[in-house]
Amino acid sequence: MKAFDFVAARDAPHAVALLAEHGPSARLIAGGTDLLADLKFTPDVPRTVVDISRAADLKGIALRDDGLAIGALVTHTEIMRSPVIRGLFPALVDAAHTIGAVQTRNLGTLGGNLVTAVPALDSGPTLIALEAEVTMLGPAGGRRLLLADFFTGPRKTVLKPDELLIEIVIPKKNLGKPTSFQKFGLRKGQALALVNVAASVWLKGEEPRFVEPRIALGAVAPTIIRAPRAEAYLEGRAATPEAMAEAGRIAAGEAKPISDFRASAEYRRELIAVLTRRALEHACALARAGKKR
Amino acid sequence: MEVTLKVNGEARSASVAPETTLLVLLRTHFNLTGTKLGCDVGDCGACTVIVDGQAVNACLMLAGQADGREVVTIEGLATRDRLHPLQQAFEDHGALQCGFCGPGAILAAKVLLDESPEPTVDEIRDALAGNLCRCTGYTKIIAAVKEAAAVLRTERAERTDRT
Repeated sequence: MKAFDFVAARDAPHAVALLAEHGPSARLIAGGTDLLADLKFTPDVPRTVVDISRAADLKGIALRDDGLAIGALVTHTEIMRSPVIRGLFPALVDAAHTIGAVQTRNLGTLGGNLVTAVPALDSGPTLIALEAEVTMLGPAGGRRLLLADFFTGPRKTVLKPDELLIEIVIPKKNLGKPTSFQKFGLRKGQALALVNVAASVWLKGEEPRFVEPRIALGAVAPTIIRAPRAEAYLEGRAATPEAMAEAGRIAAGEAKPISDFRASAEYRRELIAVLTRRALEHACALARAGKKR
Repeated sequence: MEVTLKVNGEARSASVAPETTLLVLLRTHFNLTGTKLGCDVGDCGACTVIVDGQAVNACLMLAGQADGREVVTIEGLATRDRLHPLQQAFEDHGALQCGFCGPGAILAAKVLLDESPEPTVDEIRDALAGNLCRCTGYTKIIAAVKEAAAVLRTERAERTDRT
C-alpha cells in the first residue's frame, strides 16, 4: 500500500473536525473491509486516513421517539445479534447474514456498507423498503434524508467530503412492519447479489389486503430503487398468490438490469419477478404469524 | 507510529508506518509467520486471527486500529505439552493438505467453538465460509471441527467435575 497518515477520531464531532483539518484528500476508515481492499490497488491513495472505528457515539442500537436508530459503526455481526433487531426486523438479520463471511461481518459496519453505494449492497434494500432515513454530520451541523435519496449513482452518494454518515433511523410508523429480504447469488458463501429484493407490508382486514406495501430492488439499476408501480398495484388489493406474482412481473419491468459476466439482463429480470414474489409471500407469512400471536 | 497490543497473552510494541496492516505487523515485525498472506483483500481467510474474541482478516485491519487490542494467532494455541484440540483433530483427520489455509481455518473454528460448544454442520460451514481451502474439499475440515468440539466438551465437563 502507498503511504498515508493515520489519525484516530474519538467521536463523531472529532471526526468532522479531523476531516476539516486534513481537507478533501482525507478518507474515513471504519471496518476497513472495503477501503483497505481498494487502497491496495489504487494509485491515488488519500493523504490521511481518519480512523473512526473507536468512536463510541456511533455504535449504539436504540429505540427512540422517532424510531429505531442504528449507529453507522454497528457491525453486521452486531445487527445479527441484537435482540431488538432480531425481534423487530428479522429481515435486517437475514440481510446482514448474507454479507461476506464472518470475518467481514465482524469488522464491516452498516454505515460502511451504505457509503460504498455499490448497487448490489445487501444492507440497503431492507432499509429502503422500511423507508429508513440517514443522518449525516458536517461542519455546518447535521442533516437527514431518506436513504433512498442518499444514493445518486454507482459508488456515489450525496455525502460531501467533509461529512460523515452517523446513523440510520427506521421511522416509528414502521417498527415491527413485516419485512422480507431475498438475495440470489451464484454461491451461498461470500457471493455478490445478482439481484436482491426486500418487501415490507402491512395486512389489514378479515380478508387481508395490502396496506403500504414497499418494494426495494438491488443490483438492477445504478442505485437501489423502489418499485412504485408494483407498490401501487398492490395497495388495497387482496393478498393473493396471483397478486404477488403479478407485482413481481411489474417490478421486473421497473428495473434496468445490465448484462455482465455474472448474468444477463434477461436472467436478472426473471430473478426480480421471482424474488419480489418470494419477498411478498414471506412478508405476508410473517404478518399472518404476527396477527395470530 | 507506535503501536502496543497484546499478542497471544504477551504485550508487544512496534514502530510502524501508518499504512501497515495488522497482517504485516504480525508477520514482519513480530515474526509470527503462522498467519498467512493469501489474497490480501479479505476473500480467502488465510490471514484470519482473533481480535478481542472475534475472527477478523488481519489484511483488512490497520496496525493503528489494532493498537491496544488483544490478538490471538495460531502460534498462541498449542502449549509446550500438546497441540490445541483443534490442531490435533485437523492432523488426525487429514484436514490439511498443503496447510496454507489451516491457521486461519483453525482460528475461525476456535471462535465458533468458544461461542457455540456443540455446533451443527450448517453452523460450522457458516463459520468457515470465509476460509477458502483448495485441497480438502472441506469434508475433513468439518469432521475435524466436530471432533474437536466433542473433545473440548469432554475436557470442560471433566474440569467442572473436578471443581
